[in-house]
Amino acid sequence: MLGNGMIQGLLVTARNLIRSYFDPECLTTIQYPEERRTLPENSRCFPFLVYDGTPDNLRCVACKICEQECPPQCIYIEVERDAKTGKPVRRPRVFDIDYSVCMQCQICAEVCPFDAIKMDQIYELSGTDRFGGMLMNKGALLKSNEYYHQMHPTEANEVDARLSQSKKKASPPAAKPAAAPITLQSAPPPRPTPSAPPSPSVPPTPPVPPKSDV
Amino acid sequence: MDVTFIILSLITVVGAIWAVTLRNLIHGVLSLVLFFFGVAGFFFYLNADFVGWVQILVYVGAVAILAIFAIMLTHNLTAKDEPGFFSLRWLTGMAIAAAVGAVLWFAIKNNAAMLQTAPAGVTSSVADIGRKMMTDWVVPFEVVSLLLTAAMIGAIVIAMEQISHRK
Amino acid sequence: MYNFFDQLILTLGAWVVGLVVACGNGVSKFCCGQPLSEAAAHNVAAGTEIVLICVTIYGVFALCFGLATWLERKMLARIQNRYGPNRVGPFGLFQFVADGVKMLTKEDIVPARADKLVHFLAPAVVLAPALLMFAFLPFGRNMAPTNLDTAVIAFFAVGAGSEMALFMAGWGSRNKYSILGAMRAVAQMISYEIPLVLAAVPVVMVVGSLSTSQIVAAQGADGFLDMSRWFVWTPWGFAGFILFLVAATAESNRCPFDLPEGESELVAGFHVEYSGFKFALFFMAEYIGMMAMAGLGVTLFLGGWHGPKLLPSWMWFMGKGFLIVCWLIWLRGTLPRLRVDQLMAFAWKAMLPFALFNIFTTAVWFHLPKATLLQSAVAWLVTAALVAAAYWVVSRFVCRRAGALRVYHYAS
Repeated sequence: MLGNGMIQGLLVTARNLIRSYFDPECLTTIQYPEERRTLPENSRCFPFLVYDGTPDNLRCVACKICEQECPPQCIYIEVERDAKTGKPVRRPRVFDIDYSVCMQCQICAEVCPFDAIKMDQIYELSGTDRFGGMLMNKGALLKSNEYYHQMHPTEANEVDARLSQSKKKASPPAAKPAAAPITLQSAPPPRPTPSAPPSPSVPPTPPVPPKSDV
Repeated sequence: MDVTFIILSLITVVGAIWAVTLRNLIHGVLSLVLFFFGVAGFFFYLNADFVGWVQILVYVGAVAILAIFAIMLTHNLTAKDEPGFFSLRWLTGMAIAAAVGAVLWFAIKNNAAMLQTAPAGVTSSVADIGRKMMTDWVVPFEVVSLLLTAAMIGAIVIAMEQISHRK
Repeated sequence: MYNFFDQLILTLGAWVVGLVVACGNGVSKFCCGQPLSEAAAHNVAAGTEIVLICVTIYGVFALCFGLATWLERKMLARIQNRYGPNRVGPFGLFQFVADGVKMLTKEDIVPARADKLVHFLAPAVVLAPALLMFAFLPFGRNMAPTNLDTAVIAFFAVGAGSEMALFMAGWGSRNKYSILGAMRAVAQMISYEIPLVLAAVPVVMVVGSLSTSQIVAAQGADGFLDMSRWFVWTPWGFAGFILFLVAATAESNRCPFDLPEGESELVAGFHVEYSGFKFALFFMAEYIGMMAMAGLGVTLFLGGWHGPKLLPSWMWFMGKGFLIVCWLIWLRGTLPRLRVDQLMAFAWKAMLPFALFNIFTTAVWFHLPKATLLQSAVAWLVTAALVAAAYWVVSRFVCRRAGALRVYHYAS
């Protein structure tokens, strides 16, 4: 009969209309920015540098492997030189990553032999300057190991286990005398002061209750 | 000769003149629509509400649209050949216009009753129109409806022929 | 007390008119030393009344237009498993203000080859008849802006005036898709105008007058619950109401008949070349036309401003109009769009015969005796049987081709 299908269709939509007020699974919209989608653990965004304990104690030794392997060549590293002797020291003096060039391919993290550069999960990084506003210097890139544990717990635990094993293997044979404290050419690494983006060590906000809505 | 009559005549006459003289045919049809509105205005002025509204409904809502469809589907928008002054076509047109004008003039002049203004307060309601159509004028009414039926059947036949041609 | 709220708007209007006449008297005393003459005062009062009616109707229905866009977006969103706008204002109520500001501040682009005068006039010509349609609807007791004897025909005539504007919009843009959309829009509108008018004819027959005020008065019943004499409860009234709703949906170019402005096919059809405020005017004209059609449907079939005496009459009118608008939005969220040949076939082959038969059925109802309850029940049943039979015949005819093989005219 004419209109039969129409009436059934109208009933379906009416049921959906009423159900959307009572069934929380019906509306799948995530009300950004009050709510955020919980990302899986392996999701990644931009790279960051890991330090153990204090920002002076960063794992990076400026081997420049990541700079060479980076496909869009967004990493720029300058090796630290000792102030008195001028010999290169195993730290980076300048470590810049241009986030606007970075394509988040994770190659730098894959090739780093020292587990010094890892992938972060923060994606809310809009800025107002297109040409230099997303250039992150060493201070902005340094984040602690505890932060790494928060981002990728499984991976961080694995890395920590590996590093402690390699330390146990390395420390007994090579009982090196305590080296003279080195003075560096550059000033001590500044406190993380980001150029434009928001502070890098903000953990993801827990989902807040959704905005009241009709 | 009051203001309403002057304004209405202006709208009507200007619309009619533009309808025949404008180069762009679509503009011509739109000024024809203006003319139809002017005629409807005259009907309202003469207290014939129903006829005025039906004029708008039928002429603006259907006849003008039909004219527009005809123009749009034939793609000939501007008058390509414009006859010059004092050509044969122009003279023939003027002669016919003069003849029609003369006939109308004599008809109006000799029919003195038409020159009197209508008695005030004469209104015909829709019920009156309906009653007259069903009693006094029922034969023309039926003839017109037969004509409309024939036109519709003719249109359907033409469309069906086209479909059978395509098959 | 009930009367106070019922006639509240009229009282306020009369107060404002009195205020203006008093001001006029004061001004003329100041200038000429004597108060306004009788005729002058009458003219001032009449003029003020006209201006007041216009301002009220435009203001109220412009606000209703904004709320209708909000309601549409929220209701469609909920049907489609999402929230609607919920950022601007509480529950997103001020979204239409934000939209209005956006459309006002957009650049007005006119295509270089467009027909300038026609392109410019089209939005105005489409909005004017839509607003004029409100002049013929009685909004409440004693609250019809005009008291025409031929209001129903006037409504349809004015509605026909806006079809020219669609064509002007499509043609003026000099765009293939605009012209195509305009032609389809005009063809659709004139096809569906006939069932629309024929659906209103039974009501006019039964009431015996074309005046909307009299039609509403004929649907009034005594007593507290003023609902028993609405035409929609009669079989022919119900059929006429369904016909009227379908035809009104097609006349306003709403889904499922929104092929002319098919958002997924012709971009925006006949108003694709319009930006900024002109597009806002087209949008406004569509919604205002929809609300005016809903108002006429309420007047003809749903008893106008009659309703239980709990609420004022104008609230009943607005409430019923609101229900019809909700129905139209619901329909939009449910049905897919009709193809142009399906649309035309539906108008000419299904709705037109059904509307004609409905007129015949109304005549049968009118002449059957309805003095006692038994006689009215018999009349009701006979009429209902006739309407159901006509519907069955029409549905067999329309659905007959569902199983038939499709014939391709050009691919052979």
